[in-house]
Amino acid sequence: MSNQLSRRSVLGKVGAALAAVMSVPAAKAAKAVVQKVFVTAGAPKGYDPFQHKWRMAIDANRCIGCGLCAEACKTENLVPAGPYFRTWIERYVISRPKPGSGEARGEVFVDCPNGGMHGFPELPVPKEDVLHSFFVPKLCNLCEHSPCVQVCPVGATFDAPDGAVLIDPHYCIGCGFCIQACPYGCRFFNHATRTAEKCSLCYHRITRGLKPACAEVCPTQARIFGDLKNPVPDDPLQQFYQNNRVQSLKPHLGTDPRVLYAGIDKEVM
Amino acid sequence: MRRLLHMPPQIFRILLLVVGVVTAYLIARYFLTPASFGEYGWYRGEALAELAARAPIYAGKKQCEECHSDIYQKLIKHEHKTLSCEGCHGPGQAHTDNPRKDNIDKSGFSACLRCHEASPSRPKFQKQITIKSHYTGSKCTECHVPHSPLEVP
Repeated sequence: MSNQLSRRSVLGKVGAALAAVMSVPAAKAAKAVVQKVFVTAGAPKGYDPFQHKWRMAIDANRCIGCGLCAEACKTENLVPAGPYFRTWIERYVISRPKPGSGEARGEVFVDCPNGGMHGFPELPVPKEDVLHSFFVPKLCNLCEHSPCVQVCPVGATFDAPDGAVLIDPHYCIGCGFCIQACPYGCRFFNHATRTAEKCSLCYHRITRGLKPACAEVCPTQARIFGDLKNPVPDDPLQQFYQNNRVQSLKPHLGTDPRVLYAGIDKEVM
Repeated sequence: MRRLLHMPPQIFRILLLVVGVVTAYLIARYFLTPASFGEYGWYRGEALAELAARAPIYAGKKQCEECHSDIYQKLIKHEHKTLSCEGCHGPGQAHTDNPRKDNIDKSGFSACLRCHEASPSRPKFQKQITIKSHYTGSKCTECHVPHSPLEVP
């Protein structure tokens, strides 16, 4: 190797440097073009997900089974007609044990006709045989360790910083792993969009300062919604945590649901 | 440099192939990964804004109050204070965007029995009736005012 600079090598180096500088904006422009084809443009930002921690809680003691929440959810989120729900109401009927059977509780009946959207039919057992009966609203449990997020092969479903577990419809390939993984049956396959769908806590509403549609229409405040990072005076969510002994669904699965329930029975587990 | 080229040719070719594949991967990744991927985590950060972009269909009680403050004030003083306007009157964003009489359910009547029909599954605090023994007339509103239930019309 000689240290002498020849005209040839200097010209070559200058040319290479020039090409490198020229190629950066060119590559950026090319990248923009490629991404316009393969990736959709994002919506404008104006909401900081790190400033919020949204939570929903269910006070099943207060649920009257009117079905307004299931209906509002279906309307608000353009959920396809048929047995597809982002939120729904289940009715539990626990009958009296047979006399002399020595049991504490009799048979359990659970039904959810059309998600409870249009109310419930007559009880499946005579009124005298009912030990007790109650309604339980169900929705995405917003697990801390979500099985659905873990199984997604393309990173389309994720735990947002503000506490919502969301699905990126542009990334979802509709494989259905998450639908099978959810132990609470909260996901379904939307045949129109060919993607998985679930409760998003009405993400388009909460980011605008509105309540989710179900919590908005609930007449008895069985659904309590709030922001853990920005509690309002007399925060209903804080009061719910203060005044109730709460439990989560299927705690043995280790999913650690963030939606907590009050007033549910062991049969709901 | 010259010494590098003097390595056994089969090794040199493998190295060249590895460098080629890695370069191709890096170029593909540069062009195909969305700009916002990894912004918050292992997902596309823009998805949050995209999901938030859709317009609501239920307007929320606050928007109703802006124009119908008289009814709102009446409502929050009575038993039905926890009710949402849109629970009985249906989704109202279309109406708040363009207030007309025909794009909102004015009757709101079908809603009464939905909550007040007797059922053993309902909690005891809920006032419930059996329609057959309660009244056989045509309208609940003959005796009850929905916005202030205990008032006599």
